[in-house]
Amino acid sequence: MLETEELKKVFKGKTAVNGVNLYMDKGESVGLLGPNGAGKSTTISMISSLIKPTSGDVKLKGQSVLKDPGIIRNVLGVVPQEIALYEELTAYENLKFFGRIYGLKGKELEAKIQEVLEIVGLKERQKEIVKTYSGGMQRRVNMAAAMLHEPELLIMDEPTVGIDPQSRTHILDTVRHLNQEKGLTVLYTSHYMEEVERLCDRVYIMDHGQIIASGTKDELKSILSGEETILIDLDRPYPDLVTDLQSHDGIRQTIETEKGLKLIVPKGSKLLGSIFQVAERHQAQILNVNVKVPTLEDVFLHLTGRKLRD
Amino acid sequence: MKSVFILQWQRFRRAPILVLSFLGMTILFVSVLAGFGGPNSQFTIYTYGDPSLEEEMKVKWLDRLNEAENLTFKWVEESEAHDAVSSRDAGLALKLMNDDYRILIAVQEPSSVSVENYVYQVFSEELRLQEVASQADGEEFRSELERVMNEPAIQIVTESLSGEESTFIYDDQLHVLFGMTLFFSIYTIMFSLMNVAEEKRVGTWDRLIVSPLYKWQIYTGHLLYSFLIGYFQILVAFLFFQFLFGFDLGERYGMLLLVIACYTFAIVSLGMLVMGLVKRSQQMQAVVPILATAMAMLGGAYWPIEIVTNEILLALSKGMPIYYGLDALKGAAIYNFGLPELVQPISIMLLFGVVCMGIGINLMERRA
Ligand SMILES: Nc1ncnc2c1ncn2[C@@H]1O[C@H](COP(=O)(O)OP(=O)(O)OP(=O)(O)O)[C@@H](O)[C@H]1O
Ligand SMILES: [Mg+2]
Repeated sequence: MLETEELKKVFKGKTAVNGVNLYMDKGESVGLLGPNGAGKSTTISMISSLIKPTSGDVKLKGQSVLKDPGIIRNVLGVVPQEIALYEELTAYENLKFFGRIYGLKGKELEAKIQEVLEIVGLKERQKEIVKTYSGGMQRRVNMAAAMLHEPELLIMDEPTVGIDPQSRTHILDTVRHLNQEKGLTVLYTSHYMEEVERLCDRVYIMDHGQIIASGTKDELKSILSGEETILIDLDRPYPDLVTDLQSHDGIRQTIETEKGLKLIVPKGSKLLGSIFQVAERHQAQILNVNVKVPTLEDVFLHLTGRKLRD
Repeated sequence: MKSVFILQWQRFRRAPILVLSFLGMTILFVSVLAGFGGPNSQFTIYTYGDPSLEEEMKVKWLDRLNEAENLTFKWVEESEAHDAVSSRDAGLALKLMNDDYRILIAVQEPSSVSVENYVYQVFSEELRLQEVASQADGEEFRSELERVMNEPAIQIVTESLSGEESTFIYDDQLHVLFGMTLFFSIYTIMFSLMNVAEEKRVGTWDRLIVSPLYKWQIYTGHLLYSFLIGYFQILVAFLFFQFLFGFDLGERYGMLLLVIACYTFAIVSLGMLVMGLVKRSQQMQAVVPILATAMAMLGGAYWPIEIVTNEILLALSKGMPIYYGLDALKGAAIYNFGLPELVQPISIMLLFGVVCMGIGINLMERRA
């Protein structure tokens, strides 16, 4: 349905996006992951024809979006990263306006407004002025405004920041439902790994303006198939223990977590015994040990050397 | 385009204070500067009598004094007159005696001097006449005098051909009305145009761009709104002063409407140019007052350009759309000019508008 060819964007000598190739089939739900400043929003802006690429092209159903931006504008819904609403108007008035610019009117428009308000759970408070909403509620209106015209392609740039977990689950379920039942194609950017795991079939990982890995969730996790994660809960931090483990043979990575430590080790390596010994030496009290298969978060860490949320 | 246009009105309805305050300022300033104290306005003088004043003399003096066109001598109690003067409600009060007067004054103002002169003139003339009449035969002299006054031996008729280089009809009232209205409309128009900058800042602009709307539709919606709100402000101010204060705007209403439209267009375009030049809407907020004041000063909105003699200032005034707006409005209202006479200022305003609009939109688009 959509593909980008060597997309590149340079801002005043600074390369934000550097040769991105990605594709999305109809009805797919694709995640775009990357740390702050990776170039996700810039990529999305180019796909949605908001900014012109320095070089490269975006093709929708084989046609160049660069040559004729009109082709994507009717089928596209974009949830911008920042809240982009008329804050002196009510949620209802905002939605009415955004519906109208997509050519909706009358009863159809009214029905769609109520439908999306239902999805984002703001039906009761639709007549209130957006400025008086909480940040999370504004974000929900921000999302609703992009879904009114039933786009074929929905691009969401970190849409759920600041929305409480319950509403988030509800919204994600609705998007997933639209994706599975109605064939809505979704491109989803998020810092919440669990959202991407829940919503997306395929994932692109971006860093420094480039795609550094891509594939289905399982494919990506198999990058780490040679590895295991060991989570160790400790009663308190032990800095010396960390230093010791870092230089310990066979342990690839040692990361301090809130509860204790996270170790990445080669799969099948029988290291647990020696780890216990080291801990003993530092008189560290181990509360819990857990050996896990890798998550996307681990893949991300492995690839970029950074955590997704700093 | 229609939705963008309607949206601006919705937003205006929610936050009308700013725009309405500019209309309010127009009305306030014109009222203060022209409504009172102008040559055609009424000036009320509190008048009271000395206890010795006879009723017959009171009526006689009041009648004589009230022959003045723009002065009203109003009979009040002595205490009321004192209060009015001491509280500065009135600049002065007049105390009448049988054949003399006193003026009660708190502060010396330019207007009180002319009142004093007038009263002095009335009294001295009347007293002189009385003197002469008392020597001659009273009744006969009076009627003879009246006859001579009505049919003077020599008549001097002063006429000026309007439109001739040397003549310059200076109508203070209209000048203030036109100047202040055009001046304050700059604020309204440019602040309304700032909605565009605001949309770009908040990000709703991007939403519009990725929607099926064409860019020209978005711009047109905004421009039309700013145009109409400026146009209405000028119109309301004119109507207000014509109907409530009796300002004489002449008969060329169609011409006035056309001139306002051209001027408004020029200012909307200038606003687009300014937005193309500044980076943020806060900068725009700072630039608009400076620009409006400078234009109004140079273009002759505060004082008639005819009193300016400095060559440089005169040359600068020719670059200001407000100069042509004032020129054309006065032409239509005072000199009764039609399109043929006003084609020059009108086309200059239109040209100015087209050029600014072109450059402005170009600059804005280049930055995006
Ligand atoms: N308009 C711009 N002018 C100059 N530089 C820009 C502009 N927009 C983005 N950049 C730069 O491009 C890089 C990528 O920015 P982008 O917003 O695409 O990152 P992102 O992946 O969306 O980050 P985040 O997770 O914080 O939203 C950043 O270094 C940013 O500073
Ligand atoms: Mg971003």
